[in-house]
Amino acid sequence: MDLFLQLLANGLVIGTFYALSALGLTLVFGLMRIVNFAHGELYVIGGLLGWSLTDQLGLNFFLALAIVVFALAVIGYLIDRFMMSRVRGQGEEPTILLTIGLSIFITNTALLIVGTAPLKVVSPFANKPLFLGPVVLTQSRLMLVVICIAIILGAHLLIQKTSIGRAMRATFQDAMAAQLAGIRTAHIYGFTFALGAALAGAAGMLLGSIYVAQATIGGLVSLKAFVVVILGGMGSFAGAIAGGLILGVAEALWGGYVATGYVDAIGFALVIVMLLLRPYGLFGKHNERA
Amino acid sequence: MSDTSPILELRNVDAAYGKVKSLHGISIRVAPGEVVALIGANGAGKSTTLRAISGLLAPTAGDIQFEGRSIAGRRPDLIVRGGIAHCPEERHVWPDLTVQENLHLGAYLCRDKGEVAKREEMVLQRFPRLRERAKQAAGTLSGGEQQMLAIGRALMSAPKLLLLDEPSLGLSPVITMEVLSVIRDLRDQGITIVLVEQNVHNALSVASRAYVLSTGRVVAEDSGAALLNNAEVLRAYLSG
Repeated sequence: MDLFLQLLANGLVIGTFYALSALGLTLVFGLMRIVNFAHGELYVIGGLLGWSLTDQLGLNFFLALAIVVFALAVIGYLIDRFMMSRVRGQGEEPTILLTIGLSIFITNTALLIVGTAPLKVVSPFANKPLFLGPVVLTQSRLMLVVICIAIILGAHLLIQKTSIGRAMRATFQDAMAAQLAGIRTAHIYGFTFALGAALAGAAGMLLGSIYVAQATIGGLVSLKAFVVVILGGMGSFAGAIAGGLILGVAEALWGGYVATGYVDAIGFALVIVMLLLRPYGLFGKHNERA
Repeated sequence: MSDTSPILELRNVDAAYGKVKSLHGISIRVAPGEVVALIGANGAGKSTTLRAISGLLAPTAGDIQFEGRSIAGRRPDLIVRGGIAHCPEERHVWPDLTVQENLHLGAYLCRDKGEVAKREEMVLQRFPRLRERAKQAAGTLSGGEQQMLAIGRALMSAPKLLLLDEPSLGLSPVITMEVLSVIRDLRDQGITIVLVEQNVHNALSVASRAYVLSTGRVVAEDSGAALLNNAEVLRAYLSG
């Protein structure tokens, strides 16, 4: 029983990380109908930037996090303004090709600059173990979970409660009506992509402090993020959280009880089952199939 | 109306969707406080004319003047800011947003919260049913209620000029009468209105003048009463 609780705790912790990592992807899909294959690479930029700010420049972790979020938002806005806007309204295929191209470009540029070495974001939190009954967690992981939850909550409030969030939802439900209300829709598209990129970058830096930041992990990050959003339902905010937690717990239990070697495969097994039984995901609507 | 300077004037406006030209030299004048109807069969260019005025479609030739300044080809948000609200055909409310969110977004450009609340109260007094449904998703409203919401949303921008595109489309006769009475109220309040209608009798029951459009051109212009008596015009250009 103690082992189960420990594995469950590990799974929930990693699941929270997965949820944050996938949030930007599902948001950009749900609102903009863009399947962003460069999502993992934006995560990589966040991790590498976080490493250079905390390790190379010695900046404070939270200051660095703020800079990463801002920088990725700017990058995301520019990507939308100068690339995505050119293929807007032409269906999903051009955006898929565009983001795949972008992912290759970012990965190779990152390789040119920092090489293949795994790099670590300097964390302010100790690796001291905390004993919660039978469960042991490190302080750094617990703090990261708190930060992830805060960011997820912040994104939710931004979309649901603010004027710009309302304008975002209005634009993606009916762009013409939004224009007629005086909303500058081109800005809204840019802002939404910026938000997705900022969330990806924040995840990259945060997780780079307990795992590593590395130029080549973008593909794996994108894959896991796709697993999460397909489980939860493409475009669903709650779905990303549920999908992340399910994947985290499933991986932890599988790794603990069965075999650690196949942990990365478990997510895809879940996706196959989900696509067979409920192709729109746990929280998706029927018409939201990708 | 020739003795007052117009609030809105279109001069020889051409507009096109891609390569398909759909307006050919449209000229229209609207005096302040007037209700002017654009009537004509399907595809005559009525909606396109409204789209050109509100900036959704930039004219390819000609000029559009609002309060003496050219607005042709300006961004829609600047045109809304200038005081023109366009209530589009088929309502286009945001279905997954609540009624209240729809209304608040109508006043998106107004940063003064007190002013937004004041306008909202005015709209809700005009359309009491929207108050009952404030927290409901707009997509769950009936067609008539959605039309009220679409008009209410347009009014939230406190427009001087309201463009109404087929507000009675698909509504029952009773609801249509209600919409027409709202238009009369707005006119009495001093809001200038350009009304697109397929139903000529409805249009001319509220409008003082009308332009008859056919294949992107103005083919007749007269007072409502004169047009109604001109059976020839009606037969030639109108399906209703």
